[in-house]
Amino acid sequence: MNSADLFFIFCDDQQFRRAKAIKNILIGRRTVSNLYWALEYNLLDYVDSLHGINFDDIDHTLHRLQQQKLLLLDDQMRVKLTTSGMMKRQQILSKLLPLKYLKIASQYDVSRFLQRFVFATQIVSEYSYSNRKYYPQSISFFEDQLIKKWFIQNKGQQLPELFHQLLTDFLNWVNRDDLATILVESLSGHHFSGKTEEQISNQQQVSPLVIQICWRQLYSCLLLEIFKKKVNEPLTALTTNLRRPIISNSSRQTYDLFIHHPEESTAIIASKRRIKITTVYEHLIEAAIFLPISQFPFQRLINPQIMDKLEFNQPALLGEWSYRDAVNKIPQLQFFEFRLYQILRRKQVNGKST
Amino acid sequence: MVNLLDELYKYFGFRQFRPGQEQVIQNLIARHHTLAVLPTGGGKTLLYQLYGAISHQRVVIVSPLISLMQDQVSRLQYLGSKHVVALTSTLDFKQRWAILTHLQDYQFIYVSPEMLSNPKVIAYFRQLSVGLFVIDEAHCISEWGPDFRPDYLRLGQIREQLNRPLTLMMTATATQQIQKDILSKLGFASQDVQKVVLPVDRPNIFLSAKMCENQKSKNQLLQSLVSKLNGAGIIYFSSKSQAEQTALTLNRQTGKRVMAYHGGMDSQPRFRIQQQFMNDEIDVICATSAFGMGIDKDNIRFVIHYHLPSSIQNYVQEIGRCGRDQQPSLAILLYEPNDHYLQTHLIENNFPEEGLLQYLYQHPDKLTGNDAFKVIKYYYDQHYSFEKIQKTFRLIQQHRLTELNEMLAYVEATGCRRASILSHFNEQISPTLNPKYCCDHHYDFWRSWETFNDQYLKKTPITNLKSRSNWRTILDRLFLLKN
Repeated sequence: MNSADLFFIFCDDQQFRRAKAIKNILIGRRTVSNLYWALEYNLLDYVDSLHGINFDDIDHTLHRLQQQKLLLLDDQMRVKLTTSGMMKRQQILSKLLPLKYLKIASQYDVSRFLQRFVFATQIVSEYSYSNRKYYPQSISFFEDQLIKKWFIQNKGQQLPELFHQLLTDFLNWVNRDDLATILVESLSGHHFSGKTEEQISNQQQVSPLVIQICWRQLYSCLLLEIFKKKVNEPLTALTTNLRRPIISNSSRQTYDLFIHHPEESTAIIASKRRIKITTVYEHLIEAAIFLPISQFPFQRLINPQIMDKLEFNQPALLGEWSYRDAVNKIPQLQFFEFRLYQILRRKQVNGKST
Repeated sequence: MVNLLDELYKYFGFRQFRPGQEQVIQNLIARHHTLAVLPTGGGKTLLYQLYGAISHQRVVIVSPLISLMQDQVSRLQYLGSKHVVALTSTLDFKQRWAILTHLQDYQFIYVSPEMLSNPKVIAYFRQLSVGLFVIDEAHCISEWGPDFRPDYLRLGQIREQLNRPLTLMMTATATQQIQKDILSKLGFASQDVQKVVLPVDRPNIFLSAKMCENQKSKNQLLQSLVSKLNGAGIIYFSSKSQAEQTALTLNRQTGKRVMAYHGGMDSQPRFRIQQQFMNDEIDVICATSAFGMGIDKDNIRFVIHYHLPSSIQNYVQEIGRCGRDQQPSLAILLYEPNDHYLQTHLIENNFPEEGLLQYLYQHPDKLTGNDAFKVIKYYYDQHYSFEKIQKTFRLIQQHRLTELNEMLAYVEATGCRRASILSHFNEQISPTLNPKYCCDHHYDFWRSWETFNDQYLKKTPITNLKSRSNWRTILDRLFLLKN
């Protein structure tokens, strides 16, 4: 998928941002480097929100946008929008729901929910016409089992009325015909095939990526709407096991060991967890990035003398301070300490600005 | 004695069989192993589905089309069978385990040959009673065929492990050499198997081909044809990117609703495009050969080949997707001189270079787990020496090039195209065929194709997508409310 609109949505005219990191943050490549840039760019809430989207060659796209004078691109493939780029940004954002709704897709597996809901709609739609002869959609084995089981258990519950009401209420709340059309065209059912993102994007005169983001946002809100319902309502069964951990399970285990056993060194933790010591550092950096400052013992991991030196030497643009430059000034500095210090200061700055 | 017509009506609502179907099912009921060579669209799925319905036995279907197996599951469900599952390498460990431990719950089990070659998997299958063992696309067992799959060669042994169940071998086109190959590789003596081989000829499909000067003139002709030809059509390409690009262009230029479709697409858009095509909401599909496996659309009026197919066999299979309703239909092959190089290049690329082959023979561990080296691994495991495998590859490559040249000869033919195709399968033109409705040798098609179109190709009723643009109307139509 063409990535152009990604940079309009997630860049601005204030800061040069690493294009590749932005793409990786959104599709959920959770390396500590990508997560650090997510913190630096205030995009932590969007990590993995565009999970599963395959973007084409971003270099080619960026050079084209640069030629069109929509963005500035430096030799490290960092992006800053021009005035025209900012206008384009506004145009694209006007096609979406407020961007904050995409954050829900970082906390829940919304694309899985979308597949479930679309499949359930097909079954309920055909059922409302008493039609048993149709091509069911192909989804993964367990999802297929879940939906079929759900349908057998709930088909006596006036499901067609329930779906009709839910979607009508929801789309009335959305209160925009263009977005309502984008959502209903994602469905399929009795004598209704729906449309592909490409077809809808042609119809709505926006890129396929904008359609994908609209879908993620709309289904995120729909998911929250279903969460509000009573536990025993038929629809709530469609929302099971969608929650995503903020910190990966493996990092969480390392962090828990580290916190609950202050006497143990990182080497002992590595041996207990049967992972490399560098992996322990990566797990702790991930925890430091996601957790509030109060829940992460930075001082335990950064030697006080090193901390003083870091404070003394840090440049104004801390995010752009390279480890190589830092270690030139502080020879005994480890990368792990350097990165933790950047995280701590960034969090302190973010805390002050909010 | 079972009345098959009654059973057909009872389970599927059809009043009559398609040619060959009844004979195959009778053979199976009489417990005769059967080789069925039925043309594309001849209703091969129904053979084992009806047998399963009548006999209430379990049916295991080996199919090589992994990416489309889920479509086959949907198709069987569409036709009324509910206990259907597909077991392929695309499933993750948990899914695979869940299916394997509940295999007894399914009546129809699709499985890829690779999966069946796994001893742990076969152990699960051995615990089942298999009423019918179906080998779909059975020509894949032949090393001489373009779709050779080494894992198919193990099927004879696997059949033994499953206690030699009743077996149905199915393919759409197979020369006599390939038919023989199928039986011998599966360990059958010729007299052990009943053959139902239907004629390849489809008299309702008019055959034509055009030599274009270059790609530009080919594109212009394509645009003109797509703009004017009546009814639904498929255009076949050798590459996904060309299919996508041409679909975009034709959509803009022809006023027709054209979409690309290929095996590399995600399941949801593929599903939507299939459904839209079935519901006549799309006029033309730009496809690679993956298209059509899960589709049962009767009223396709034309098939155009934008690229040269690799063999007459493949060509016959692909044009067979039009005119399943027995109404007049049209096959057009467009050719420009570079097409020959493209296909030759594809064939050459299909075979490893000597250096790579030598490296792999020196480092056989690299052969494992890489799909691209499956065929090499097969020969390596068969203890072929480096010289012997090289010689074998050269022979197969030569065979493919010969097939390509036969295809080219078809394009360049100055005589009857139908006779040219049928001679390949040792068949002759039916004496009852109307010579004016045969091919562009007997009828000056290229001077009057528009007249041909008006005279023979039926229009499909227009379904207007715009009429449903109001989201409230769509919701009302999606859910039929009782009150």
